[in-house]
Amino acid sequence: MRRTVVIVAVTVTALLLQTTVFPELTLLGVKPELLYLVTVVFAALQGPAEGAVVGFVGGLAQDFMLNMPKGITALTLTILGYTVGLARQYIASPSPLLPAILVGLGTAGGVAFHQAVAFLLGEEEGPFSYVAKVVLLTAVYGAVLTPIFFPVLRRAATATHAGRVVRF
Amino acid sequence: MAIRQRTRSARLLLVTLVAASLAIITVDYRGGEQGPLDAAGRVVSSAITPLQQAVSNVVQPVSNFFSSLAELPSLSRRNGELQVQVDDLRTVQQLNQALTRRIETLEQLLGLQTITSHTIAARVIGSGVSNFEWDITIDRGSQDGIEVDMPVVTGASDGPRLVGRVIRVTPISSVVQLVIDRDFAVAGRLSTSQEAGLVLGRGEEDLRMGHLRPGIEVGETEPESVFTVGYEVNGQPGLYPAGILIGTVSRAFSEPDAVESFVTIRPAVDFSTLQYVLVIAPDSDPQGGSP
Repeated sequence: MRRTVVIVAVTVTALLLQTTVFPELTLLGVKPELLYLVTVVFAALQGPAEGAVVGFVGGLAQDFMLNMPKGITALTLTILGYTVGLARQYIASPSPLLPAILVGLGTAGGVAFHQAVAFLLGEEEGPFSYVAKVVLLTAVYGAVLTPIFFPVLRRAATATHAGRVVRF
Repeated sequence: MAIRQRTRSARLLLVTLVAASLAIITVDYRGGEQGPLDAAGRVVSSAITPLQQAVSNVVQPVSNFFSSLAELPSLSRRNGELQVQVDDLRTVQQLNQALTRRIETLEQLLGLQTITSHTIAARVIGSGVSNFEWDITIDRGSQDGIEVDMPVVTGASDGPRLVGRVIRVTPISSVVQLVIDRDFAVAGRLSTSQEAGLVLGRGEEDLRMGHLRPGIEVGETEPESVFTVGYEVNGQPGLYPAGILIGTVSRAFSEPDAVESFVTIRPAVDFSTLQYVLVIAPDSDPQGGSP
């Protein structure tokens, strides 16, 4: 129950920031992808199962605010959460930059996958150069924002599973 | 043993969630605009609207303060320029009033129907969640009489300027697709040549107006304006009333031997600073609106 409340609260907060604060704080005209950041951080801390659940819930919520077939972001973030959670188990790096690197790579891969699925479903997404720019800038922006959001998200994650947290 | 079991259950969870996502995509894709998931979407949007309102109440004054700080040095110069413009506009206004009276008289003589509509003022409380869609959320919804496809404009001294159209409505909020969105299309007319064409949104780039006659001449010295075209099909009026400013031509691509000409248009509205908009609601009985 507590876990559900935390996941919903984190998702709603991320969506609110994404639609109200960050349209004013763009990086060269590009907004960050906060739900990708949340999914990667939860997956890295809690493992593939929790990563997939957080990704699915956050992705579905974001889908309801988009003007394209619903479910694409849910699919993207479910796979992203599972992959990052799985990959994290094989990385032994003690680097404090690891969360930022994971968010950067995860966001780039996730946004590219999302656009590929949208393209296959016939959505008009603009020229390749624009998609490439968004993939690159959302990855950089996500990595830059990670040190700010990571402590808060770690606290939220520990509220769900006290004993199983991976410390960076 | 326990680790293997945990891996297996995580894999099972992944398969379930991926299958659920694929099912949702399929159901929504086949259902189109009126799919069964739209109701769920409206519930999520309605739930988040009061929170968006609260956050934008806090964020907007702060962002206004910082943007006005940055503009402080140029403000006094701008003030002088605006004073000159006000004087000019007063003269134009007096002229316009005389012309309006003449038009009214002529319309009465010809028995012309004018567009009868009223507007609903709304505040912008949020922007689109994605980098690939250009939309805004406003704080008025179906309770205030807003419906899907209603045109949205913003006010300016020289008349209304096109912002976009309503694409989703909840009881307390609506989502407006901006003219720059890649799915947006509107019929436009060049102000001097009166040529009509189709204006399409292109995201961050200027709008594109195509289907123009080959070899068309577009005013190079003075920026040419583009307005919406009002039309009727089988007695049903189009979505947009005529005469709403869409933007000004930024570049013309016209070659005599091409199949068609096209121009790019800079939108008349600065979407980054948009705070208030007007939704145009046509009156239910267009014939009975005016005596």
